[in-house]
Amino acid sequence: MKPVRLAACLGAAFMLSTTVSTIALAQAPVCSAPVKVLAQPRDGLTLLEDSKDEFQKLSGASFQIDYLNENDRRAKSRADASTVGNYNVYYVDEANVALFASSKWIVPLTDYYPADYDYADFDPGRQKVATYDGKVWFAPLTGGGDLMVYRKDILEAAGIQPPKTLDELIADVPKLTNPDKGIYGIALRGARGSGANVWRWMPFFKAYGGQWFDGDKPAFNSDAAVKATETYLKLFKDSAPGTQTGSWDESTGAFLSGQVAILVESTPLSGMAVDPKTSQVVGKIGFLPPPAPLTGGGYGHGLAIAAKANADDASKKCAGLFIAWATSKENEKRRLDAHQFGELNRTSILSSKEFADIYGADLGQALAETGKVTAVNFWQDPRWPDLGDRWGIILEELVTGTRTDIKGGLTELEAYANELMKK
Amino acid sequence: MPRRSSLPVTFVVPTLVILLILSMVPTLYAIVIALQNRELSSTAYSYVWFSNFVDLFFDRRFLNAVWVSVKWEVVTVVATMAVAIGLGVLMFEVASPRLRNIYCLLFIIPVLLPRVSAAFVWKFAYHPLYGIATYPYRLLTGGLIFDPLSKPATALFAVASVDVWQWGLFFAVIVLKLLETLPPQPIEAARLDHARRWQIHAYVTLPMLKAPLISLMFVKMIESLRSFDLIYVMTRGGPGVATETLDMYAFSQGFIESGKVSYASAMAVLMMIATVITFTMLWKRVQA
Repeated sequence: MKPVRLAACLGAAFMLSTTVSTIALAQAPVCSAPVKVLAQPRDGLTLLEDSKDEFQKLSGASFQIDYLNENDRRAKSRADASTVGNYNVYYVDEANVALFASSKWIVPLTDYYPADYDYADFDPGRQKVATYDGKVWFAPLTGGGDLMVYRKDILEAAGIQPPKTLDELIADVPKLTNPDKGIYGIALRGARGSGANVWRWMPFFKAYGGQWFDGDKPAFNSDAAVKATETYLKLFKDSAPGTQTGSWDESTGAFLSGQVAILVESTPLSGMAVDPKTSQVVGKIGFLPPPAPLTGGGYGHGLAIAAKANADDASKKCAGLFIAWATSKENEKRRLDAHQFGELNRTSILSSKEFADIYGADLGQALAETGKVTAVNFWQDPRWPDLGDRWGIILEELVTGTRTDIKGGLTELEAYANELMKK
Repeated sequence: MPRRSSLPVTFVVPTLVILLILSMVPTLYAIVIALQNRELSSTAYSYVWFSNFVDLFFDRRFLNAVWVSVKWEVVTVVATMAVAIGLGVLMFEVASPRLRNIYCLLFIIPVLLPRVSAAFVWKFAYHPLYGIATYPYRLLTGGLIFDPLSKPATALFAVASVDVWQWGLFFAVIVLKLLETLPPQPIEAARLDHARRWQIHAYVTLPMLKAPLISLMFVKMIESLRSFDLIYVMTRGGPGVATETLDMYAFSQGFIESGKVSYASAMAVLMMIATVITFTMLWKRVQA
């Protein structure tokens, strides 16, 4: 064989082998093992499990989601992330993202979130909650602020206009309570936890001008906190049975089953309230922003890439692909089709014609209005869950009457905050 | 002098070594951690020696947890034994052998339920509006609301009732079977002496069963120390801290609230020491 022909043959063979290996690389699965996810129950995630095959085709592996309720999920993910690291993806929320990020239990998401999935399409408020220390840590699964949802029929029968101010709310709630008919003026959260009773108490605290810290000094042991707690306890006298030691499930459950006249709760409630599958009060409800000056509790939950279980870059890419796929426009459209209001996070979906067709203009208007008063009410710091949970216990004691000294409780919390600040 | 065989040592030593490793390594590790200031959120730590133990005695929640644990132990053990003896004697006296078998089958079912499932079932049963356990109260009072799990005065007893429901009924079956194994002569002799039924049991049968009943009580005492799952599901230690036992508080400090694993370990070590001392004293007193 002539040298030229030999060279041409070798060149062709090299080109062929390169092309084959490129194709092989292009088709190489991103994931080599099933993605393990620790989450709390969400309709959107349950729906996602119906499309396991789609993710398998996309990535080469399946996924497994373990569900625990909110408080248990927080405890378990914290224990797992700091010790064995069994899970590739954690469900995190606004209250613990700072802790997880600063402890390096999760990695910045956008480094491994494929650009095609368009992270910028998420609601800007939720993007803000997912951002800590200038980096994005999770892709939202749910989020928003607060809405006041009320029973038009009960308020009309009592001759009461929907309250626009906190003073009106405080005055109206006792008038609406009628235990003989199984109706209670309001439903609050009594169960301990920074994401439970403290979450619902914080809008009152902020409404009265409360601040958590002034620089490094605790500032919450104030008249604002005392007044907020007194108001909260006063309203609790007309809160539905079961809510004294209950949280979101108990208060929304009481409203959806027709026992509550007015409820100020996180925005997913509104979607549940208009869905005949979950609500017995469809057609009887109205929506408004929280009575002024209550602030809406801005929040966001989502999926983050675990650091420990994803030791190498390939694992992180796999977890990033799973998160991107799980929160993609296609999957969000499926959630819209399934009328899962609380699972919608993308502006392209929230502003779509299909959304307006399903949920109506009233709700859209209320959501737009409440966005203006939505605020971050908690202390944005890794130590927040610790401080918030401690206040949650004291608040639960106050709600259930095992302690009565509000000021004493706040002083105890202040001493604890001072200890935290020394660390 | 006959030469001793080394066979027993050959068999016993490896087992003992494994047991020692399994029991001592975690115990020693817990003690070491209790002397440090480890937290979940940080890898840095140092030795603080007995500081965690000293802090515990100024912690109102710890002191409350000690008191709640003592109440829990007394209420559940006494009530379980009372239900077990009462029901066991009742079945022995009034039920035919066929009925006894049916009762035994029914009474064993609660203890076969996983604790978490039992806790969820009863949590719903105690719901103030829908619960079957609160329904009679609503019926009798014309719809008044009773929420036993949110009242500090009733929460501990409401949770304890689930524990007694599981273990009291199971122990009743054991008591019945123990009564059935007793020789009939002493009972017949008591009857011939015109002893009443309660007298026969108070002075004849139960004293004869003293040793197995004490063993049952010890089993229940140990079991009651491990009621974390039941309390966690039903009240999470609430309302406030009304049902927060030592294990609940230790878990709270270690994993739910603060991530203070050393502080939680100090509690676990104190619990272990208190349990060993209490059980040793009780055991010696019973044997005396």
